[in-house]
Amino acid sequence: MNDIKDHNTRSRLGSVGIYLVMIFFTVMALYPLFWLVVSSFKTTTEFQMNKLGFPKKWVTINYKDAWVRGKFPMLIVNSVIYTGITTLAILVFSAMAGFGFAKIRHKATPILYGSFVIGILLTLQSIMVPLFLIVNWVGLYNTRLGVLIPYIGIGMPMGVYLGTEYIKSIPDALVESARIDGATYGRIFWRIIVPMSIPVAVTVAILTVTGTWNEFMLINILTSSDGLKSLPVGVQKFAGALSTDYGKQFAALVIGLIPMLLFYLAFRKEITKGVAAGAVKG
Amino acid sequence: MAKVLTMADTKREQRRAYWSLVLPGFLLYIAVMAFPTIFSVVLSLTSYNGGKLFGGRPVEMVGLKWYKRLFADEYFYRALKNNLWIVLVSVLGQIPLGFFLAYVLYRGLVRARDFFQTMIYLPTVISTVVIGILWKSFFAPHGAFPELMRIFRPGYEYTMGSHPMIPVLFVILWMYSGMYMIIFMANLQKIDNAVIEAARIDGASEMQVLRHVILPALSGVIVVTAILAISGSLKSFDLIYVMTGGGPANRTSVLSIYMFDKAFKGAPNYPLANAISTVMVIISFALIGLTKFAENKFGGRE
Repeated sequence: MNDIKDHNTRSRLGSVGIYLVMIFFTVMALYPLFWLVVSSFKTTTEFQMNKLGFPKKWVTINYKDAWVRGKFPMLIVNSVIYTGITTLAILVFSAMAGFGFAKIRHKATPILYGSFVIGILLTLQSIMVPLFLIVNWVGLYNTRLGVLIPYIGIGMPMGVYLGTEYIKSIPDALVESARIDGATYGRIFWRIIVPMSIPVAVTVAILTVTGTWNEFMLINILTSSDGLKSLPVGVQKFAGALSTDYGKQFAALVIGLIPMLLFYLAFRKEITKGVAAGAVKG
Repeated sequence: MAKVLTMADTKREQRRAYWSLVLPGFLLYIAVMAFPTIFSVVLSLTSYNGGKLFGGRPVEMVGLKWYKRLFADEYFYRALKNNLWIVLVSVLGQIPLGFFLAYVLYRGLVRARDFFQTMIYLPTVISTVVIGILWKSFFAPHGAFPELMRIFRPGYEYTMGSHPMIPVLFVILWMYSGMYMIIFMANLQKIDNAVIEAARIDGASEMQVLRHVILPALSGVIVVTAILAISGSLKSFDLIYVMTGGGPANRTSVLSIYMFDKAFKGAPNYPLANAISTVMVIISFALIGLTKFAENKFGGRE
Protein backbone atom coordinates (compact mmCIF):
# COMPACT_ATOMS: atom_id res chain seq x y z
CA MET A 1 0.00 0.00 0.00
CA ASN A 2 0.95 3.63 -0.20
CA ASP A 3 2.75 4.39 3.01
CA ILE A 4 3.19 8.04 3.67
CA LYS A 5 6.55 8.82 2.26
CA ASP A 6 7.54 12.14 3.72
CA HIS A 7 8.50 11.55 7.29
CA ASN A 8 8.26 15.05 8.63
CA THR A 9 6.80 15.65 12.06
CA ARG A 10 3.51 16.90 10.79
CA SER A 11 2.64 13.79 8.88
CA ARG A 12 3.81 11.62 11.76
CA LEU A 13 1.45 13.50 14.06
CA GLY A 14 -1.29 13.04 11.48
CA SER A 15 -0.54 9.37 11.36
CA VAL A 16 -0.82 9.03 15.14
CA GLY A 17 -4.09 10.95 14.97
CA ILE A 18 -5.48 8.57 12.38
CA TYR A 19 -4.50 5.58 14.48
CA LEU A 20 -6.25 7.12 17.47
CA VAL A 21 -9.38 7.73 15.43
CA MET A 22 -9.40 4.18 14.05
CA ILE A 23 -8.82 2.71 17.50
CA PHE A 24 -11.64 4.86 18.83
CA PHE A 25 -14.08 3.46 16.26
CA THR A 26 -12.89 -0.08 16.87
CA VAL A 27 -13.41 0.32 20.61
CA MET A 28 -16.82 1.83 19.95
CA ALA A 29 -17.75 -1.17 17.80
CA LEU A 30 -16.54 -3.74 20.30
CA TYR A 31 -17.22 -2.22 23.71
CA PRO A 32 -20.97 -2.96 23.87
CA LEU A 33 -20.34 -6.59 22.96
CA PHE A 34 -17.52 -6.79 25.46
CA TRP A 35 -19.77 -5.26 28.13
CA LEU A 36 -22.45 -7.81 27.30
CA VAL A 37 -20.10 -10.77 27.65
CA VAL A 38 -18.62 -9.50 30.92
CA SER A 39 -22.06 -8.75 32.36
CA SER A 40 -23.31 -12.21 31.47
CA PHE A 41 -20.92 -13.64 34.06
CA LYS A 42 -22.43 -11.59 36.89
CA THR A 43 -25.39 -12.59 39.01
CA THR A 44 -28.34 -10.28 38.59
CA THR A 45 -27.79 -8.93 42.10
CA GLU A 46 -24.20 -8.09 41.33
CA PHE A 47 -25.10 -6.50 38.02
CA GLN A 48 -27.48 -4.10 39.74
CA MET A 49 -24.68 -2.89 42.04
CA ASN A 50 -21.87 -3.04 39.52
CA LYS A 51 -22.97 -2.30 35.97
CA LEU A 52 -19.69 -1.46 34.33
CA GLY A 53 -16.84 -3.25 36.10
CA PHE A 54 -15.65 -6.83 36.03
CA PRO A 55 -17.54 -9.29 38.22
CA LYS A 56 -16.02 -9.95 41.62
CA LYS A 57 -16.90 -13.58 41.13
CA TRP A 58 -17.37 -14.98 37.63
CA VAL A 59 -20.42 -17.23 37.59
CA THR A 60 -21.59 -19.52 34.79
CA ILE A 61 -24.98 -20.35 36.27
CA ASN A 62 -26.66 -17.83 33.92
CA TYR A 63 -25.57 -19.88 30.94
CA LYS A 64 -26.77 -23.16 32.40
CA ASP A 65 -30.15 -21.62 33.23
CA ALA A 66 -30.60 -19.83 29.93
CA TRP A 67 -29.48 -22.81 27.87
CA VAL A 68 -32.05 -25.12 29.44
CA ARG A 69 -34.94 -22.76 30.11
CA GLY A 70 -34.60 -20.91 26.83
CA LYS A 71 -34.65 -24.28 24.97
CA PHE A 72 -31.58 -23.18 23.03
CA PRO A 73 -30.64 -26.62 21.65
CA MET A 74 -34.02 -26.79 19.92
CA LEU A 75 -33.84 -23.19 18.68
CA ILE A 76 -30.43 -23.77 17.17
CA VAL A 77 -31.57 -26.97 15.45
CA ASN A 78 -34.58 -25.11 14.05
CA SER A 79 -32.43 -22.26 12.77
CA VAL A 80 -30.04 -24.73 11.14
CA ILE A 81 -32.98 -26.46 9.42
CA TYR A 82 -34.52 -23.20 8.14
CA THR A 83 -31.22 -21.76 7.01
CA GLY A 84 -29.91 -24.99 5.49
CA ILE A 85 -32.97 -25.87 3.45
CA THR A 86 -33.56 -22.27 2.33
CA THR A 87 -29.97 -21.83 1.19
CA LEU A 88 -29.85 -25.14 -0.64
CA ALA A 89 -33.16 -24.50 -2.41
CA ILE A 90 -32.21 -20.97 -3.43
CA LEU A 91 -28.86 -22.15 -4.78
CA VAL A 92 -30.43 -24.91 -6.89
CA PHE A 93 -33.42 -22.92 -8.18
CA SER A 94 -31.42 -19.81 -9.00
CA ALA A 95 -28.68 -21.76 -10.75
CA MET A 96 -31.37 -23.50 -12.81
CA ALA A 97 -33.16 -20.27 -13.70
CA GLY A 98 -29.83 -18.55 -14.33
CA PHE A 99 -28.83 -21.33 -16.75
CA GLY A 100 -32.15 -21.04 -18.57
CA PHE A 101 -32.01 -17.25 -18.83
CA ALA A 102 -28.33 -17.03 -19.75
CA LYS A 103 -27.84 -19.96 -22.11
CA ILE A 104 -31.15 -20.94 -23.72
CA ARG A 105 -32.71 -18.49 -26.14
CA HIS A 106 -36.37 -17.88 -25.45
CA LYS A 107 -38.66 -14.96 -26.12
CA ALA A 108 -40.07 -15.07 -22.58
CA THR A 109 -36.70 -14.27 -21.02
CA PRO A 110 -36.90 -10.45 -21.00
CA ILE A 111 -40.26 -10.49 -19.18
CA LEU A 112 -39.43 -13.26 -16.73
CA TYR A 113 -35.92 -12.10 -15.96
CA GLY A 114 -37.05 -8.49 -15.78
CA SER A 115 -39.66 -9.37 -13.18
CA PHE A 116 -36.97 -10.96 -11.01
CA VAL A 117 -34.84 -7.83 -11.27
CA ILE A 118 -37.80 -5.71 -10.13
CA GLY A 119 -38.26 -8.17 -7.28
CA ILE A 120 -34.85 -7.30 -5.88
CA LEU A 121 -36.25 -3.92 -5.00
CA LEU A 122 -39.40 -5.14 -3.22
CA THR A 123 -39.05 -4.99 0.52
CA LEU A 124 -40.12 -7.70 2.90
CA GLN A 125 -42.13 -5.15 4.85
CA SER A 126 -44.43 -4.45 1.97
CA ILE A 127 -45.50 -8.10 1.64
CA MET A 128 -45.70 -8.91 5.33
CA VAL A 129 -49.48 -8.49 5.75
CA PRO A 130 -50.62 -10.11 2.46
CA LEU A 131 -48.18 -12.97 2.98
CA PHE A 132 -49.58 -13.55 6.45
CA LEU A 133 -53.12 -13.68 5.05
CA ILE A 134 -52.20 -15.98 2.16
CA VAL A 135 -50.25 -18.38 4.39
CA ASN A 136 -53.32 -18.56 6.60
CA TRP A 137 -55.71 -19.25 3.73
CA VAL A 138 -53.64 -22.07 2.28
CA GLY A 139 -53.39 -23.67 5.71
CA LEU A 140 -49.65 -23.28 6.14
CA TYR A 141 -49.82 -21.00 9.18
CA ASN A 142 -47.61 -22.30 11.98
CA THR A 143 -45.90 -24.99 9.88
CA ARG A 144 -42.28 -25.35 8.83
CA LEU A 145 -43.29 -25.31 5.19
CA GLY A 146 -45.16 -22.05 5.76
CA VAL A 147 -41.86 -20.49 6.80
CA LEU A 148 -39.62 -22.19 4.25
CA ILE A 149 -41.63 -21.36 1.12
CA PRO A 150 -41.65 -17.61 1.84
CA TYR A 151 -37.96 -17.70 2.75
CA ILE A 152 -37.06 -19.40 -0.51
CA GLY A 153 -39.27 -17.13 -2.60
CA ILE A 154 -37.86 -13.99 -1.02
CA GLY A 155 -34.30 -15.06 -1.79
CA MET A 156 -35.02 -15.88 -5.44
CA PRO A 157 -34.67 -12.41 -7.05
CA MET A 158 -31.16 -11.77 -5.76
CA GLY A 159 -30.08 -15.36 -6.41
CA VAL A 160 -31.44 -15.37 -9.95
CA TYR A 161 -29.95 -11.95 -10.72
CA LEU A 162 -26.46 -12.78 -9.47
CA GLY A 163 -26.66 -16.29 -10.96
CA THR A 164 -27.78 -15.17 -14.42
CA GLU A 165 -25.20 -12.40 -14.67
CA TYR A 166 -22.47 -14.84 -13.69
CA ILE A 167 -23.55 -17.70 -15.94
CA LYS A 168 -23.65 -15.28 -18.90
CA SER A 169 -19.86 -15.05 -18.55
CA ILE A 170 -19.45 -18.81 -19.10
CA PRO A 171 -18.58 -19.23 -22.81
CA ASP A 172 -21.52 -20.30 -24.99
CA ALA A 173 -19.15 -22.58 -26.90
CA LEU A 174 -18.85 -24.88 -23.89
CA VAL A 175 -22.61 -25.42 -23.78
CA GLU A 176 -22.92 -25.71 -27.58
CA SER A 177 -20.16 -28.27 -27.99
CA ALA A 178 -21.63 -30.34 -25.19
CA ARG A 179 -24.98 -30.19 -27.01
CA ILE A 180 -23.36 -31.34 -30.24
CA ASP A 181 -21.79 -34.23 -28.34
CA GLY A 182 -25.32 -35.22 -27.39
CA ALA A 183 -25.41 -34.13 -23.75
CA THR A 184 -28.84 -33.37 -22.33
CA TYR A 185 -29.53 -30.00 -20.67
CA GLY A 186 -29.69 -31.76 -17.31
CA ARG A 187 -26.24 -33.20 -17.84
CA ILE A 188 -24.84 -29.85 -18.98
CA PHE A 189 -26.32 -28.22 -15.91
CA TRP A 190 -24.70 -30.60 -13.45
CA ARG A 191 -21.43 -31.17 -15.34
CA ILE A 192 -20.65 -27.69 -16.68
CA ILE A 193 -22.81 -24.95 -15.20
CA VAL A 194 -22.79 -26.01 -11.55
CA PRO A 195 -19.04 -26.62 -11.22
CA MET A 196 -18.24 -23.34 -12.99
CA SER A 197 -20.68 -21.32 -10.88
CA ILE A 198 -19.10 -22.07 -7.52
CA PRO A 199 -17.81 -18.49 -6.94
CA VAL A 200 -21.23 -16.92 -7.41
CA ALA A 201 -22.83 -19.74 -5.44
CA VAL A 202 -20.60 -18.80 -2.50
CA THR A 203 -21.78 -15.18 -2.69
CA VAL A 204 -25.45 -16.17 -2.90
CA ALA A 205 -25.02 -18.70 -0.08
CA ILE A 206 -23.37 -16.09 2.17
CA LEU A 207 -26.14 -13.57 1.55
CA THR A 208 -28.83 -16.20 2.12
CA VAL A 209 -27.29 -17.71 5.24
CA THR A 210 -26.80 -14.36 7.00
CA GLY A 211 -30.20 -13.07 5.92
CA THR A 212 -32.13 -16.22 6.84
CA TRP A 213 -30.34 -16.90 10.11
CA ASN A 214 -31.07 -13.39 11.39
CA GLU A 215 -34.57 -13.11 9.94
CA PHE A 216 -37.05 -12.21 12.63
CA MET A 217 -40.07 -10.34 11.39
CA LEU A 218 -41.69 -12.97 9.14
CA ILE A 219 -41.11 -16.03 11.27
CA ASN A 220 -42.44 -14.08 14.22
CA ILE A 221 -45.82 -13.58 12.53
CA LEU A 222 -45.97 -16.87 10.57
CA THR A 223 -45.52 -19.25 13.51
CA SER A 224 -46.93 -19.43 16.99
CA SER A 225 -45.76 -22.68 18.57
CA ASP A 226 -42.51 -22.87 20.51
CA GLY A 227 -41.32 -25.89 18.57
CA LEU A 228 -41.07 -23.95 15.29
CA LYS A 229 -39.20 -20.89 16.51
CA SER A 230 -35.81 -19.88 15.24
CA LEU A 231 -32.95 -18.56 17.33
CA PRO A 232 -33.76 -14.83 16.98
CA VAL A 233 -37.44 -15.34 17.86
CA GLY A 234 -36.50 -17.56 20.79
CA VAL A 235 -33.97 -15.03 22.07
CA GLN A 236 -36.52 -12.25 21.78
CA LYS A 237 -39.24 -14.22 23.57
CA PHE A 238 -36.90 -15.45 26.30
CA ALA A 239 -34.62 -12.47 26.88
CA GLY A 240 -37.28 -9.87 26.13
CA ALA A 241 -39.50 -11.31 28.84
CA LEU A 242 -36.68 -11.26 31.43
CA SER A 243 -36.46 -7.50 31.61
CA THR A 244 -35.19 -7.58 35.18
CA ASP A 245 -33.32 -10.88 35.35
CA TYR A 246 -30.28 -9.41 33.65
CA GLY A 247 -27.89 -12.29 34.24
CA LYS A 248 -29.95 -14.81 32.27
CA GLN A 249 -30.94 -12.22 29.70
CA PHE A 250 -27.32 -11.41 28.89
CA ALA A 251 -26.36 -15.08 28.79
CA ALA A 252 -29.18 -15.70 26.32
CA LEU A 253 -27.98 -12.84 24.15
CA VAL A 254 -24.42 -14.15 24.13
CA ILE A 255 -25.65 -17.61 23.14
CA GLY A 256 -27.73 -15.91 20.44
CA LEU A 257 -24.80 -14.08 18.93
CA ILE A 258 -22.17 -16.83 19.01
CA PRO A 259 -23.25 -18.78 15.88
CA MET A 260 -23.20 -15.70 13.63
CA LEU A 261 -19.95 -14.50 15.19
CA LEU A 262 -18.22 -17.79 14.40
CA PHE A 263 -19.66 -17.80 10.89
CA TYR A 264 -18.38 -14.26 10.36
CA LEU A 265 -14.90 -14.95 11.68
CA ALA A 266 -14.67 -18.05 9.48
CA PHE A 267 -15.94 -16.40 6.28
CA ARG A 268 -15.28 -12.70 6.78
CA LYS A 269 -13.60 -12.27 3.38
CA GLU A 270 -16.48 -13.91 1.55
CA ILE A 271 -19.07 -12.07 3.65
CA THR A 272 -17.69 -8.61 2.95
CA LYS A 273 -17.38 -9.46 -0.73
CA GLY A 274 -20.94 -10.75 -0.83
CA VAL A 275 -22.30 -7.68 0.92
CA ALA A 276 -20.60 -5.38 -1.56
CA ALA A 277 -22.00 -7.42 -4.46
CA GLY A 278 -25.48 -7.56 -2.95
CA ALA A 279 -25.73 -3.94 -1.88
CA VAL A 280 -24.80 -2.17 -5.09
CA LYS A 281 -27.27 -4.01 -7.22
CA GLY A 282 -29.96 -2.75 -9.59
CA MET B 1 -35.72 -36.39 -43.36
CA ALA B 2 -34.28 -37.77 -40.16
CA LYS B 3 -32.18 -34.62 -39.91
CA VAL B 4 -35.24 -32.33 -39.98
CA LEU B 5 -36.93 -34.42 -37.33
CA THR B 6 -33.92 -34.07 -35.06
CA MET B 7 -33.95 -30.32 -35.53
CA ALA B 8 -37.60 -30.13 -34.46
CA ASP B 9 -36.90 -32.47 -31.58
CA THR B 10 -34.00 -30.30 -30.51
CA LYS B 11 -36.21 -27.23 -30.56
CA ARG B 12 -38.84 -28.96 -28.51
CA GLU B 13 -36.28 -30.31 -26.09
CA GLN B 14 -34.78 -26.87 -25.77
CA ARG B 15 -38.15 -25.34 -24.93
CA ARG B 16 -38.90 -28.07 -22.44
CA ALA B 17 -35.52 -27.62 -20.80
CA TYR B 18 -36.03 -23.86 -20.61
CA TRP B 19 -39.35 -24.09 -18.83
CA SER B 20 -38.31 -26.82 -16.45
CA LEU B 21 -35.23 -24.80 -15.50
CA VAL B 22 -36.94 -21.45 -15.09
CA LEU B 23 -40.41 -22.29 -13.77
CA PRO B 24 -39.72 -23.59 -10.23
CA GLY B 25 -37.91 -20.43 -9.22
CA PHE B 26 -40.32 -18.19 -11.06
CA LEU B 27 -43.43 -19.73 -9.49
CA LEU B 28 -41.95 -19.44 -6.01
CA TYR B 29 -41.09 -15.83 -6.65
CA ILE B 30 -44.57 -15.03 -8.00
CA ALA B 31 -46.31 -16.80 -5.13
CA VAL B 32 -44.24 -15.21 -2.39
CA MET B 33 -43.35 -11.76 -3.68
CA ALA B 34 -45.03 -10.55 -6.86
CA PHE B 35 -48.57 -11.74 -6.16
CA PRO B 36 -48.67 -10.55 -2.52
CA THR B 37 -47.45 -7.12 -3.60
CA ILE B 38 -50.25 -6.73 -6.15
CA PHE B 39 -52.73 -8.37 -3.81
CA SER B 40 -51.80 -5.89 -1.11
CA VAL B 41 -52.68 -2.98 -3.38
CA VAL B 42 -56.06 -4.58 -4.17
CA LEU B 43 -56.84 -5.28 -0.50
CA SER B 44 -56.07 -1.69 0.42
CA LEU B 45 -59.05 -0.65 -1.74
CA THR B 46 -61.53 -3.02 -0.07
CA SER B 47 -63.36 -3.46 3.21
CA TYR B 48 -61.87 -6.93 3.80
CA ASN B 49 -61.13 -7.46 7.44
CA GLY B 50 -60.20 -11.02 8.27
CA GLY B 51 -61.92 -14.35 7.75
CA LYS B 52 -62.59 -16.05 4.45
CA LEU B 53 -62.15 -13.96 1.34
CA PHE B 54 -65.10 -15.63 -0.40
CA GLY B 55 -68.21 -16.91 1.31
CA GLY B 56 -67.69 -14.94 4.47
CA ARG B 57 -68.90 -11.41 4.91
CA PRO B 58 -69.13 -9.81 1.45
CA VAL B 59 -66.08 -7.74 0.60
CA GLU B 60 -66.74 -4.35 -0.94
CA MET B 61 -64.58 -1.99 -2.87
CA VAL B 62 -64.28 1.22 -0.92
CA GLY B 63 -61.99 3.22 -3.19
CA LEU B 64 -59.42 5.40 -1.53
CA LYS B 65 -61.13 5.43 1.87
CA TRP B 66 -58.16 3.92 3.72
CA TYR B 67 -55.69 6.23 2.06
CA LYS B 68 -57.77 9.22 3.17
CA ARG B 69 -57.83 7.76 6.67
CA LEU B 70 -54.09 7.20 6.50
CA PHE B 71 -53.24 10.72 5.39
CA ALA B 72 -55.42 12.14 8.15
CA ASP B 73 -53.71 10.07 10.86
CA GLU B 74 -51.12 11.94 12.88
CA TYR B 75 -49.32 8.66 13.73
CA PHE B 76 -48.62 8.23 10.05
CA TYR B 77 -46.74 11.52 9.96
CA ARG B 78 -44.95 10.74 13.20
CA ALA B 79 -43.76 7.43 11.73
CA LEU B 80 -42.80 9.07 8.45
CA LYS B 81 -40.84 11.72 10.34
CA ASN B 82 -38.90 9.02 12.18
CA ASN B 83 -38.17 7.33 8.86
CA LEU B 84 -36.74 10.64 7.69
CA TRP B 85 -34.61 10.90 10.84
CA ILE B 86 -33.15 7.50 10.03
CA VAL B 87 -32.39 8.63 6.47
CA LEU B 88 -30.74 11.76 7.87
CA VAL B 89 -28.54 9.74 10.23
CA SER B 90 -27.54 7.53 7.31
CA VAL B 91 -26.78 10.34 4.90
CA LEU B 92 -25.06 12.66 7.36
CA GLY B 93 -23.61 10.02 9.68
CA GLN B 94 -23.15 6.56 8.24
CA ILE B 95 -22.16 7.51 4.70
CA PRO B 96 -19.46 10.08 5.61
CA LEU B 97 -18.22 7.85 8.42
CA GLY B 98 -18.24 4.76 6.22
CA PHE B 99 -16.41 6.67 3.52
CA PHE B 100 -13.82 8.00 5.95
CA LEU B 101 -13.11 4.56 7.37
CA ALA B 102 -12.94 2.99 3.92
CA TYR B 103 -10.63 5.72 2.70
CA VAL B 104 -8.22 5.38 5.61
CA LEU B 105 -8.08 1.62 5.13
CA TYR B 106 -7.84 1.74 1.34
CA ARG B 107 -5.04 4.31 1.27
CA GLY B 108 -3.09 2.27 3.81
CA LEU B 109 -2.93 5.15 6.27
CA VAL B 110 -2.91 2.58 9.06
CA ARG B 111 -1.44 -0.89 9.34
CA ALA B 112 -3.50 -3.91 10.41
CA ARG B 113 -6.11 -2.99 7.83
CA ASP B 114 -7.72 -6.41 8.03
CA PHE B 115 -8.08 -6.19 11.79
CA PHE B 116 -9.77 -2.78 11.73
CA GLN B 117 -12.07 -3.75 8.90
CA THR B 118 -13.11 -7.01 10.57
CA MET B 119 -13.83 -5.40 13.92
CA ILE B 120 -15.69 -2.34 12.62
CA TYR B 121 -17.90 -4.46 10.38
CA LEU B 122 -18.64 -6.96 13.17
CA PRO B 123 -21.83 -5.33 14.59
CA THR B 124 -23.53 -5.59 11.19
CA VAL B 125 -23.52 -9.39 11.08
CA ILE B 126 -24.99 -10.03 14.50
CA SER B 127 -28.71 -10.68 14.76
CA THR B 128 -30.66 -7.43 15.11
CA VAL B 129 -32.69 -8.99 17.89
CA VAL B 130 -29.60 -9.56 20.02
CA ILE B 131 -28.33 -6.06 19.26
CA GLY B 132 -31.71 -4.51 20.06
CA ILE B 133 -32.10 -6.16 23.47
CA LEU B 134 -28.46 -5.47 24.31
CA TRP B 135 -28.83 -1.74 23.70
CA LYS B 136 -32.24 -1.62 25.33
CA SER B 137 -30.61 -2.85 28.55
CA PHE B 138 -27.65 -0.55 28.06
CA PHE B 139 -29.79 2.57 27.61
CA ALA B 140 -32.34 1.66 30.30
CA PRO B 141 -32.89 4.45 32.86
CA HIS B 142 -31.10 2.31 35.46
CA GLY B 143 -28.83 0.63 32.96
CA ALA B 144 -25.16 1.02 32.19
CA PHE B 145 -25.37 4.18 30.10
CA PRO B 146 -26.19 6.64 32.91
CA GLU B 147 -23.43 5.01 35.01
CA LEU B 148 -20.96 5.39 32.18
CA MET B 149 -21.90 9.03 31.69
CA ARG B 150 -21.37 9.74 35.38
CA ILE B 151 -17.73 8.69 35.04
CA PHE B 152 -17.21 11.56 32.59
CA ARG B 153 -19.79 13.98 33.99
CA PRO B 154 -20.55 13.49 37.68
CA GLY B 155 -24.16 14.24 38.46
CA TYR B 156 -25.36 13.29 34.97
CA GLU B 157 -29.13 13.03 34.88
CA TYR B 158 -30.80 10.54 32.58
CA THR B 159 -32.81 12.51 30.05
CA MET B 160 -33.13 10.01 27.20
CA GLY B 161 -36.76 9.50 28.16
CA SER B 162 -37.64 12.85 26.61
CA HIS B 163 -35.84 12.07 23.32
CA PRO B 164 -36.61 8.39 22.73
CA MET B 165 -35.42 8.47 19.10
CA ILE B 166 -31.85 9.39 20.04
CA PRO B 167 -30.83 5.95 21.38
CA VAL B 168 -32.50 4.29 18.37
CA LEU B 169 -30.68 6.52 15.91
CA PHE B 170 -27.40 5.99 17.73
CA VAL B 171 -27.77 2.21 17.53
CA ILE B 172 -28.57 2.44 13.81
CA LEU B 173 -25.44 4.51 13.30
CA TRP B 174 -23.43 2.07 15.40
CA MET B 175 -24.71 -1.04 13.71
CA TYR B 176 -24.66 -0.20 10.01
CA SER B 177 -21.79 2.23 9.41
CA GLY B 178 -19.60 -0.79 8.76
CA MET B 179 -21.82 -1.76 5.84
CA TYR B 180 -21.18 1.55 4.08
CA MET B 181 -17.48 1.14 4.80
CA ILE B 182 -17.52 -2.21 3.00
CA ILE B 183 -19.41 -0.79 0.01
CA PHE B 184 -16.98 2.10 -0.33
CA MET B 185 -13.99 -0.22 0.11
CA ALA B 186 -15.20 -2.47 -2.70
CA ASN B 187 -15.59 0.51 -5.02
CA LEU B 188 -12.35 2.22 -4.03
CA GLN B 189 -10.53 -0.95 -4.98
CA LYS B 190 -11.85 -0.57 -8.51
CA ILE B 191 -10.02 2.75 -8.96
CA ASP B 192 -6.81 2.34 -10.93
CA ASN B 193 -3.97 2.69 -8.46
CA ALA B 194 -1.64 4.02 -11.17
CA VAL B 195 -3.71 7.22 -11.44
CA ILE B 196 -3.32 7.90 -7.75
CA GLU B 197 0.40 7.09 -7.84
CA ALA B 198 0.89 9.43 -10.78
CA ALA B 199 -0.92 12.26 -9.01
CA ARG B 200 1.17 11.73 -5.89
CA ILE B 201 4.41 11.75 -7.89
CA ASP B 202 3.30 14.99 -9.55
CA GLY B 203 3.17 16.48 -6.08
CA ALA B 204 -0.54 16.30 -5.30
CA SER B 205 -1.27 16.20 -1.57
CA GLU B 206 -3.43 13.54 0.03
CA MET B 207 -6.34 15.99 0.14
CA GLN B 208 -5.93 16.91 -3.53
CA VAL B 209 -5.89 13.26 -4.54
CA LEU B 210 -9.07 12.76 -2.54
CA ARG B 211 -10.82 15.76 -4.08
CA HIS B 212 -9.74 15.47 -7.69
CA VAL B 213 -9.22 11.75 -8.25
CA ILE B 214 -11.12 9.68 -5.73
CA LEU B 215 -14.33 11.59 -5.09
CA PRO B 216 -15.15 12.10 -8.79
CA ALA B 217 -14.62 8.37 -9.39
CA LEU B 218 -17.05 7.57 -6.60
CA SER B 219 -19.85 10.03 -7.38
CA GLY B 220 -22.08 7.25 -8.71
CA VAL B 221 -21.55 5.10 -5.62
CA ILE B 222 -22.30 7.99 -3.30
CA VAL B 223 -25.66 8.47 -5.00
CA VAL B 224 -26.38 4.74 -4.80
CA THR B 225 -25.52 4.62 -1.09
CA ALA B 226 -27.79 7.58 -0.41
CA ILE B 227 -30.65 5.72 -2.06
CA LEU B 228 -29.67 2.59 -0.16
CA ALA B 229 -30.00 4.65 3.01
CA ILE B 230 -33.57 5.59 2.15
CA SER B 231 -34.60 2.04 1.32
CA GLY B 232 -32.75 0.87 4.45
CA SER B 233 -34.87 3.24 6.48
CA LEU B 234 -38.03 1.74 4.98
CA LYS B 235 -36.74 -1.71 5.89
CA SER B 236 -35.98 -0.88 9.51
CA PHE B 237 -38.26 -2.98 11.65
CA ASP B 238 -36.52 -5.59 13.81
CA LEU B 239 -34.31 -3.22 15.75
CA ILE B 240 -37.06 -0.77 16.69
CA TYR B 241 -39.57 -3.55 17.31
CA VAL B 242 -37.19 -5.12 19.82
CA MET B 243 -35.75 -1.93 21.33
CA THR B 244 -38.87 0.15 21.86
CA GLY B 245 -41.77 -1.51 20.04
CA GLY B 246 -42.41 1.95 18.61
CA GLY B 247 -43.11 3.38 22.05
CA PRO B 248 -43.43 5.31 24.22
CA ALA B 249 -46.71 6.55 22.72
CA ASN B 250 -45.58 5.74 19.14
CA ARG B 251 -42.78 8.26 19.41
CA THR B 252 -40.19 5.88 17.94
CA SER B 253 -42.54 4.31 15.41
CA VAL B 254 -41.59 4.03 11.74
CA LEU B 255 -43.81 3.10 8.79
CA SER B 256 -43.18 -0.63 9.08
CA ILE B 257 -43.93 -0.64 12.82
CA TYR B 258 -47.04 1.45 12.20
CA MET B 259 -48.19 -1.09 9.62
CA PHE B 260 -47.43 -3.99 11.96
CA ASP B 261 -49.47 -2.36 14.73
CA LYS B 262 -52.44 -1.87 12.42
CA ALA B 263 -52.35 -5.49 11.24
CA PHE B 264 -51.31 -7.47 14.30
CA LYS B 265 -52.00 -5.43 17.40
CA GLY B 266 -55.49 -5.14 18.83
CA ALA B 267 -58.35 -5.33 16.33
CA PRO B 268 -56.72 -5.90 12.93
CA ASN B 269 -57.30 -3.38 10.19
CA TYR B 270 -55.85 -5.19 7.17
CA PRO B 271 -56.92 -2.73 4.48
CA LEU B 272 -55.30 0.16 6.31
CA ALA B 273 -52.14 -1.89 6.88
CA ASN B 274 -52.08 -2.69 3.17
CA ALA B 275 -52.53 0.97 2.32
CA ILE B 276 -49.41 1.70 4.40
CA SER B 277 -47.44 -1.02 2.64
CA THR B 278 -48.60 0.30 -0.74
CA VAL B 279 -47.32 3.74 0.19
CA MET B 280 -44.00 2.10 1.11
CA VAL B 281 -43.86 0.26 -2.23
CA ILE B 282 -44.57 3.52 -4.08
CA ILE B 283 -41.78 5.28 -2.20
CA SER B 284 -39.30 2.53 -2.97
CA PHE B 285 -40.25 2.44 -6.65
CA ALA B 286 -39.92 6.19 -6.84
CA LEU B 287 -36.42 5.62 -5.51
CA ILE B 288 -35.62 3.18 -8.27
CA GLY B 289 -36.59 5.84 -10.78
CA LEU B 290 -34.37 8.27 -8.95
CA THR B 291 -31.47 5.80 -9.01
CA LYS B 292 -31.79 5.25 -12.73
CA PHE B 293 -31.96 8.99 -13.27
CA ALA B 294 -28.91 9.55 -11.07
CA GLU B 295 -26.99 6.81 -12.82
CA ASN B 296 -27.59 8.41 -16.17
CA LYS B 297 -26.71 11.82 -14.89
CA PHE B 298 -23.62 10.97 -12.89
CA GLY B 299 -22.41 8.39 -15.34
CA GLY B 300 -22.40 4.66 -14.81
CA ARG B 301 -23.32 2.51 -11.88
CA GLU B 302 -20.74 1.38 -9.32
